[in-house]
Amino acid sequence: MRIKASGITDVGLKREDNEDSYSKEDSLGLYVVADGMGGHLAGEVASRVAVEMINKSVRKWLEEEAREDELFGPPDNSLTLIGNYILSSIRMANRVVYEMALGHEEYHGMGTTVVILYVTPSLIIAANVGDSRIYMVRDGHLERLSKDHTIVSEQVEMGTMTEEEATTSPLRHILTKNLGSSETLEPDIFEIEPSDKDRLVLCSDGLTDLVSDDEIFEMTQKNKDPSNLCRKLVDTVLQRGAHDNATIVSVFLSGIKTGRGGPINKMGSLLADFVTGIRKVIRI
Amino acid sequence: MARLILTFNKQVIKEYPFLKDSVTIGREDDNTIVIANLAVSGYHARIDKTGNDFIVTDLQSTNGSFVNNKKVVTQKLSHGDNILIGKHIILFVASEKKIQRDAKSGKIDLGKTMMLDTVKQKELLKKQKTPPKAVRAPEKIGVVSFIDGSSLGDIVLRKKLTKIGKADTSEIKLSGVFMGATAATISRRPAGYTIAYAGGITKLKVNGETVRDSVLLKDFDTIELGSYKFQFYGKEVKR
Repeated sequence: MRIKASGITDVGLKREDNEDSYSKEDSLGLYVVADGMGGHLAGEVASRVAVEMINKSVRKWLEEEAREDELFGPPDNSLTLIGNYILSSIRMANRVVYEMALGHEEYHGMGTTVVILYVTPSLIIAANVGDSRIYMVRDGHLERLSKDHTIVSEQVEMGTMTEEEATTSPLRHILTKNLGSSETLEPDIFEIEPSDKDRLVLCSDGLTDLVSDDEIFEMTQKNKDPSNLCRKLVDTVLQRGAHDNATIVSVFLSGIKTGRGGPINKMGSLLADFVTGIRKVIRI
Repeated sequence: MARLILTFNKQVIKEYPFLKDSVTIGREDDNTIVIANLAVSGYHARIDKTGNDFIVTDLQSTNGSFVNNKKVVTQKLSHGDNILIGKHIILFVASEKKIQRDAKSGKIDLGKTMMLDTVKQKELLKKQKTPPKAVRAPEKIGVVSFIDGSSLGDIVLRKKLTKIGKADTSEIKLSGVFMGATAATISRRPAGYTIAYAGGITKLKVNGETVRDSVLLKDFDTIELGSYKFQFYGKEVKR
């Protein structure tokens, strides 16, 4: 498997500080974007601490090949071991940010969103808290691998609001979950099989506020290089007023071997159909 | 109508609709909002309605008044501002009309991500016609039900990623000469359960159509892998 990845962050045109943080660790296949909030510099601190904590703990557990009972909090049996590393790293970062916010007046009320992507040749893990997102472009389609934790997205899910209303609702930036504001936190985590030529984009809402899913899809397909894609997306945000910080990490995968396709496979599938047919007949 | 919501320790104590042109806050009984706490001065702060705006003024209190954690002498209030008086927090809620108007004219920065603390959450939830929790769709977990006589029965998809194939590590183990080690995977994603062809000579079919990439599963879709045949459905579970 080959990974080409690139990251970019821009303060935008209206804000003085950049409260977003990101990390890109090609050697681990770990990518993180966080969008902090809170007065003064607290938002910046929250996002930076979260990104650092997640990187440190995932690296440590991977190196030690830690068991599930050595992690932070009870394991989630629906996840793989590495999925549990990611889950625990988020729980741990949450506890650290939460306690910092409690212990220091200047950090009071700080918090952050976080999106994490972890890729190996056999597994993609996507985790998120808040309204930063992960997109995946595969087989000519765009799919979200994150779930927005906002009041409006919950309403969309319940069917009391349409997608369209949600994009303009005054409540659209109100989070129902974020890292750092409560003692415990359960993120959404998804695990899927990778596929050759998958393209993934992690981003803060500075991008998604101004650029639609369709546009992100188009640009992700068109740009051959992840750094070009990041530049193009940020330029679009800046052209449209950039009222918020925008951060984008794009990850392009290639050279993933799957059992799909190939001439032998095609020959074989004819034979397989034949055998299946016979077996069905025999059973009857 | 604008409102003030008095809270202590993130608990709502009382809500005050803004009925007069001026509201006072303090320990003495003749204040509009009386807070019987030693950290609060007799006449601690005042909020005045001037036209469409609301302005808070600290009445030279001993411990000061704070808006969004910043000490203020006098300050115009915006929707959602927290006014800290002693250890009590008063949440300022502008009128519906004002919120809409300010949002349109760009006075309220709707681009700013906000955290939803307990008080605001209660406030916002109260505005819903029905509380979201009560009407939230029940969570569903995917089940595959074998209908091929293979005696595999119903299998609940407890993992985020279920591998189906010949390999011993498969969550659903199927046999067959042409069956892939991992023939297909079912993953639980934000949009729902998705089945993907993974490998092997045996074809994956959903409702009779060969699937080369992946497809989002709907209730009672029929899936075929060689001579195996099973149906997918979502079963409601308690949250």
